[in-house]
Amino acid sequence: MLFKQIRRNAAKNRKGNGLFFGSLVIAIVAFYTLLSLGEQDVMQFLATIESDAVGKLMLLLPVVYAVSLFFVFFLVYFACRYQIDSRRQELGMYLMLGMKRSRLFGMLFGETLWNSMISLIVGLPVALFLTEGISLATAKIVGLGIIGHRFSLSPTAVLWTVCGFVLVQLFSMLIICVSLGRTEPADFFRAGDTEKQTVSSGAGSMGFLCAGLVLLPLAYYLGIFWLRSMELTVVLVTVFLGISGTFLLYRGLGGFWGLRIRRKSPDAIGLQTFTARQVQENVLSQHKSLAVSSLLLMTALACISFGIAMGMIRTVSSRSVDFSLFGEEAQIDAVLSQDKIREMVGDSYPLYLSHVKDGYYRDQENAFDTGEMVEALTDIDGSNNIVENLHFEYVIAQSSYNRILENAGKAPIDLSGGRVAMYSSLAKEGDFGTMIQEALEQNISIGIDGTDYPVLPTLYYDNIVADRAITLYLGLIVPDELYSQLAGEQAAYCRNVRIRDEDVEKSGLMQAVRKMGALLDDIGIEYDSYLGGIGRNLFYTVAASYLTIYLGILFWLIANTVIGMKYLIGQRRTKHRYETLAMLGADLPSLCRSVGKQINLYFSLVLVTALLSGTAAIFSMFTSFAKLPMGVSVGKTILLSIAALIVFAGLEILYIRIVTRTACREINRLEPAGRR
Amino acid sequence: MDTRKDLLQVESLTKTYGKGANQTEALKGISFRVLEGEFLGIMGASGSGKTTLLSCIATMLKPTSGKIILRGQDISGFRGGKLADYRGKEIGYLFQEFELLDNLTARENITLPLALHGVTARQAEQEIQAIASLLDIVPVLDKFPSQMSGGQKQRVAAARALISDPDILLADEPTGALDSKNSKILLDKLATVNSTQNKTIMMVTHDANAASYCSRILFIQDGQLFHELRRNVESESTADFYERIVTVMAQLGGGSANAL
Repeated sequence: MLFKQIRRNAAKNRKGNGLFFGSLVIAIVAFYTLLSLGEQDVMQFLATIESDAVGKLMLLLPVVYAVSLFFVFFLVYFACRYQIDSRRQELGMYLMLGMKRSRLFGMLFGETLWNSMISLIVGLPVALFLTEGISLATAKIVGLGIIGHRFSLSPTAVLWTVCGFVLVQLFSMLIICVSLGRTEPADFFRAGDTEKQTVSSGAGSMGFLCAGLVLLPLAYYLGIFWLRSMELTVVLVTVFLGISGTFLLYRGLGGFWGLRIRRKSPDAIGLQTFTARQVQENVLSQHKSLAVSSLLLMTALACISFGIAMGMIRTVSSRSVDFSLFGEEAQIDAVLSQDKIREMVGDSYPLYLSHVKDGYYRDQENAFDTGEMVEALTDIDGSNNIVENLHFEYVIAQSSYNRILENAGKAPIDLSGGRVAMYSSLAKEGDFGTMIQEALEQNISIGIDGTDYPVLPTLYYDNIVADRAITLYLGLIVPDELYSQLAGEQAAYCRNVRIRDEDVEKSGLMQAVRKMGALLDDIGIEYDSYLGGIGRNLFYTVAASYLTIYLGILFWLIANTVIGMKYLIGQRRTKHRYETLAMLGADLPSLCRSVGKQINLYFSLVLVTALLSGTAAIFSMFTSFAKLPMGVSVGKTILLSIAALIVFAGLEILYIRIVTRTACREINRLEPAGRR
Repeated sequence: MDTRKDLLQVESLTKTYGKGANQTEALKGISFRVLEGEFLGIMGASGSGKTTLLSCIATMLKPTSGKIILRGQDISGFRGGKLADYRGKEIGYLFQEFELLDNLTARENITLPLALHGVTARQAEQEIQAIASLLDIVPVLDKFPSQMSGGQKQRVAAARALISDPDILLADEPTGALDSKNSKILLDKLATVNSTQNKTIMMVTHDANAASYCSRILFIQDGQLFHELRRNVESESTADFYERIVTVMAQLGGGSANAL
């Protein structure tokens, strides 16, 4: 009998409230997506070449899982509270019919478990479908190829998803039951206490508002101009100012809103005053939730932007060299002439890269004259370290470098007229590249053996060998004749090999490189492969992008759920007001319009602050620790940011629509006052 | 003979709840008329159908059959904008539990029916002041309901019901949630509004004391009109009328065998 009742109630809950059920399914998808990260194609692949790093990430996952559990708890808690709130009378009736509280709570827990089971049956396939999609998309983006893709179901991920989800559901229900346990049966039959409209003192509210309006911009200022130093004190002060500014702003907003209503109400018509008062009431009674939601949305924006930027950094490294072979010329020629290898090779060329001859090293008699460069750098703030370490001990032959550029699909460099170019593989690291680039734009020259060689005004940074872990602090790209004159070693440093594009298109770059690597291993020649260097780079990209975007989306969902559910709970509690309004002559469409305006205003109050703070946070992030590397097109980044923002706005509008529809459905069920 | 015009006509009104075997007839063909400027009371035991009758007139319930005609118009055919106009302009409704919007000030509550029909508080300032003075609520105009006493709340609700100058004020047990002192204040004010402004009032009540303020009382039993009492306002005091009401109520309690 009880079980039948549980099943019937649970079905009613699901049917009556899509938002509630949707939140549960989202929670499941969130858990599984995170927990099955190890099963993703990219991660499986990376585990074969970067097992240490992947192992470390897998150790980090439980921490992120715990963080997710904590945040998803709020999502589920608000969804459950909304659900229970709508059943107060029913629960009161059970008690008055003689049901013991323990049995009542048993029934609620039973319903929770039953709903969990149904949510899991729906949610797990959705999660599986989504993770497979993500896996395929990531594999495609990073050039892994999707031919070898296999459908993967992670039993451990499923187990932990089920455990986490059920735990979060039961814990939410436990908290709700504790508060229900303290409720008198008579209170169940009341529509629920509405928050008392406090007469906020104008001066007090304005004080809070002004404090918020001072502290928040101060946090923006510190974030944008001072955070780049990454000093702990600055970071802590910025975070403190930002958080307290947001809380104070919302604390004072209700009073300010009230003053505005008083000024406008003499000329208000229709439901304008009512709409504004409803919003004010929500702001007054829920200023803490608004502040938390706004901060969560800001964090979501920052996380997603960071994730996208990390992806951008990855896409910026264009492919030029797949393999670098080391050994005698003849030995390499013999390897490359083997049928299986020859079929796969698109281009191969020797790389002339060498230390300078003895006598040209730093502090030696023939060392390059870098006077003009030092002078140009001295004018740039923060360049002291670079000036102190400025030296050129490597030279690269122009012909080799042009082959690299050709393979990367770029225009060759022209060093005619006795010019040279500057190279650094660290160009993308922080401010180093930017400062060198700035100095080069001053049209400087470098003195070699008493002759001044003008340096091209662009810093070059393409990968010169397959292993990107190899770094070259600063080098000079010089014409081949000059190279012969300066190079300490006349033989080629290595032979660069690029795989045919047809093979890459057929099976994906990663698989093609892996196949060639296997062939070279069989022969036993010494080589570096694209994978060796890219593996770690790719790993950090994937891990950072994936986790930050994941957290961003989770924060976004939770912030929206908190605002949406808080609004809907409030609306249900003030349902009698709408009934009174209907009795006073307000028709249902105008009540729905009022509800729509309230929801728009309520969400806007959170979104505007989140957007402003988010913009400041993103700006501060990209000018400090997540600085965009050289070569990342600013235009492309802005376009991508705008696209991300449009998607964000679209999803936000969608969410607001869902909440409005739910709220209007409640309005359309209204009965005029007096019939209750 | 009363020369006043009919304001409201209720003709053969029936209301049935439920379907098939579960049908309950709440109103069984009630007919009566309300004259302009009348203070009409509706009395009856619980479940007699008096609130159903008021709800039908207020358009909160749709009658099963019969007509409700206000100033020559059958209100049962009203829909959409016309229905909203009827609720907001032609009737005023006073609820037992006041039903003030607790997040609006008294002034905002009072002007709500006007605002719903495109009139601003600024335009209606004179009317607001007049009704607030009449009902003694000027000091609480800018306060929220949580800052008022029960009596003040009900008088603010009365001001809201009267602000749009409706043809008829419908009151459902308006003193039900008030103590005797505040009940008396409210009834005195309603009687003043009725006599000075010639406002028609129709009040459902259990309370014989409240009913004694009326000029005519209809007694309903089991969904039918059972008895009618008229008070000679000029010669009969409320105390005497009260005595007569109590007598009828006692007989009502004994069933229709004791019908007068």
